[in-house]
Formats: sequence, C-alpha cells, structure tokens
Amino acid sequence: MRALSYFLEEAGRSLWRRRGASLLAAGTSAVSLLVLGLFLLAGSNASRILERWSAAAELSIYLTDGATPEHRRAIERELAASGLVSAHSYVTQAEALRRFTTQFPDLAASARSLPTNPLPASYDVRIRPERARDAQVDLLANRVRALPGVSDVRYDRRWLDRLIRVVGVARTAGLVLAGLLVIASCVTVMSVVRLTLFARRQEIEIMQLVGAPLAYIRGPFVMEGTLLGLLGAVLATMLLWTAFAAWRDPLVAQATGVVDAGALAFLSPAIVAGLILGGAAIGCLGGVLAARGAR
Amino acid sequence: MIEAKNVSKMYARGVYALHDLNLTIGKGEFVFLTGPSGAGKSTLLRLLLRQEAPNAGQLIVNGRSLSKMNAGQVQAYRRTVGFVFQDFKLIPTRTVYENITFVPRVLGQPIAIQRRKAFQVLKWVGLQHRMNAFPLELSGGEQQRVAVARALINDPALVLADEPTGNLDPDLALDIMNLFRDINARGTTVLVATHDRELIRRVARRTLALDQGRIVEGQ
Repeated sequence: MRALSYFLEEAGRSLWRRRGASLLAAGTSAVSLLVLGLFLLAGSNASRILERWSAAAELSIYLTDGATPEHRRAIERELAASGLVSAHSYVTQAEALRRFTTQFPDLAASARSLPTNPLPASYDVRIRPERARDAQVDLLANRVRALPGVSDVRYDRRWLDRLIRVVGVARTAGLVLAGLLVIASCVTVMSVVRLTLFARRQEIEIMQLVGAPLAYIRGPFVMEGTLLGLLGAVLATMLLWTAFAAWRDPLVAQATGVVDAGALAFLSPAIVAGLILGGAAIGCLGGVLAARGAR
Repeated sequence: MIEAKNVSKMYARGVYALHDLNLTIGKGEFVFLTGPSGAGKSTLLRLLLRQEAPNAGQLIVNGRSLSKMNAGQVQAYRRTVGFVFQDFKLIPTRTVYENITFVPRVLGQPIAIQRRKAFQVLKWVGLQHRMNAFPLELSGGEQQRVAVARALINDPALVLADEPTGNLDPDLALDIMNLFRDINARGTTVLVATHDRELIRRVARRTLALDQGRIVEGQ
C-alpha cells in the first residue's frame, strides 16, 4: 500500500511537472481509443439494427394488374404449404398508396395527382425468424415468382446479407486501424515516460546507490504510463458519449422509418469498462517498456 | 570490515585503474585514500559501492565477497553503505527534507520513521532550520551537509566519500571532515578519498596513498 501510494505520488508529480507532454500522450491515447470506440459503437448499433431488420425480414410479392382471386388463392396455398411463413397479409393498391403517402409525405401530393394509382397490389409475407436464413426461402421466392399473376418477388434477406457482410468488413478494417493507433499510442506513452526517465536519471542513480528495490525504481514510471493511458481512455469515453448524445436524435430524425430511437444505444457498461481498462493497460505496457531503461 | 585481495580493474587493454591491490580496513576505522588524479581512488570507491566489478581479485566487505552477490544481494548490501560525492548529487527539484527522506522512502519505511530519522540527522548536521529549502538555495557547504545527512539517515555501517570537500573552501572542508569524525566516533567505518594533503594533515587519521592503481604508502 505504501509502495502504491509512493508510485502514485511520484507519477502524479511527474505528470504535473511535464503536463504539456503528458497531455499530448494522453491525447494521442484518447484519439486511438476514440477511433476504436467509434468502430465498436457503430458496429454494435449496426448489428442491433440489422438484427431487428433480420427479425422483420419480409418477402414482398408484387401482383400484376390482372391478378385474379384464383391467382391469389394459388399464391396463398404455396405460402401455407412451405412451412416457412409465420404470417402474410394482402396489401391492396389503395393501401399501398396510403402507406406511400404516409412514409413519404413530401411526395404525397404528386402521387395523388397521378391519373391512376401506379402502385401494385402485393403480399407482405413474414418469414419465421428461425427460418430467415434458410435457403428454402429463396426456393419459395422462385416458386412464387413463377406463379401466374405475380410480377415480382423481393426478399429483404438478400440485401441484408450483403449489408451484414459490408458491416463485417468495415468493422474488421476499423479494428485493424484502431489496433495500429493503439500501438502508436503505446509508443507515444513510452516516449513520454522515457523523457521522464531521462529527466530523473539523477534520482534513479541515487535510488540505485541506496539499494532501492527495482520495483521502487521502476514503479513510478509504470504508474505514469498507466495514468496516461487511463486519462486517455476516460477522455475518449467522454468524447464518444458526447458525440453519441449529440448525434442520436438528428440521426433518428434523418432516418425515420428505417432506424428507430430504441435501436440506437451507447456501448454497454462492460465494453466501456473494457475500453477504460484497455487504455490503462496500453499505458501500463508503454510504461513497462520505458521503465526497462531503469536498471 | 573491508579487505581487498589482489584486486585489479582494467578499463582499457593494458591500462590498469587498480593493479593487484591488497588492503585491509578494520571495523570502525577512519581511513583517507589519497593520491593524484587517476591513481584509482574513485575506482576503488565504485568497486566498494558495487557500481562496477573488478577484473581480478576479491573485494570483501563484512565477510561477504562483493563479486559473488546477485542483484538482490547488491541492493541489500548498498542499504548498509552511505555515500557522499564531490558534486553532492542532491535532487534539485526536492527540498532538503525530501532529499533526505528520499532514501528511507524508496526503501519503503513508514512515514513516521522517515520523519523522525530526518529530524535527527538534520539536527546533527545543523540544518534543521533549512529543511524546506531547495538545494540551489543553499551554499556549497550546506549542500554537502545535506548529502552527509542523507548518507547517515539509514544508519550505515560504512560511509564512503569521494572528494567530499573538493568544491568547498578550507574552513567548510574542515567542518565536513569534523562531521565525518563524529560519524566515525559513533562506530561507523569511514573511507574518504581526497587529494587534499593539508586536510589529511589536519584531521590526522590513517592514510592510504595510491598511485597508478597500487598502494604506495600507508599499508
């Protein structure tokens, strides 16, 4: 406990004495952790939104203008026989227009001014969530597409899969970038601690001559690195939270109908704790590497 | 207390700082080490502080061979040795009190003990009233007194001093030597390296003269 208090006091004194360089190191650490945090935040929210979209994945069956009740019964029989469908509903042309004017109010007047309703009648088909990734859904779509009275079949799952792949690639690229920045931050912390080591070489020499334990000689430098990393991580978390709070509502407003406010959330407490402890660990590593110079 | 057996230290090929040195210093002795620059005085002190190891021979302090110590044993050994240098080696950014308590502090001693010991040694060197001053606010003699106080705070069995009066005028030099005499009177072994013959004459203690790495007088 006495040793820890000694390390903290010495590290605090040193950080304050070289506060310019310390802020620079903490800032670099904060930037790298901010980038990492941004990718984690964007990744977790994108995953959550995609999960919701996946759960709500629908097969849309668009009918021709000449589709008869017999055609519709054939479609409904095919859907029921597949065992993949949890629910389906028939959307008339009038209902399709009403939905369109609700979702795109700016275009409502133009749509109503057309001499005829251009939107086709359709079926909204809800796939059982547990079967959403089933290849049978694609086969069902192909069978339905071939039925008379059907003009087109759209299945959300296909573009969702593409989107999930894109998000995965972006997340990997982000983590690689963040990893590189984390290494840069570790090197910066190490350089700052080395400067401290150089400035305190006389103290180190005296400590060596009086027989101070190696842990006592190196401890303050390791603590200094840890504090720099911790400071950077706390700074990064605060910036991340501020940015999230500032952008959440405008983002939801921009993406009405696509993203709802409930789908967006800040990082979980476990990830925040991991980010902060990770920052401290990076700083600690920088401190340990620098302190190896004190023998 | 200190025994050197055929100790040699060579820095460059064929150039000896110490050459086949043999000496014995008893417990509680006060010994001057003198000689011209390059005679090997500082080298011997560095070997005794275990900052370096000899190329040949054995250096034994308190029955233990310094060359056979591992890193942990060297640390433990150094805690029994006080040292004073010509350039004081005080930390300029710390007060007198902090410079003195630095030693017990890095050895992990409780604060109450650090404080008690600091007051004792500061009183003993007559600087209790300057404990909050910084080294650069003190005269050379006062700075060396602080260095002596720091050397004593851990109650060392052996005090090594390398030209401790080299930067001081003759009166201040004698003051510092009187401190060493007092330290010695308490039973501590004192080894002082100096080339100041006049000071040696005034203090009048056993003197070992070195030249070209060998003892030429006083053995």
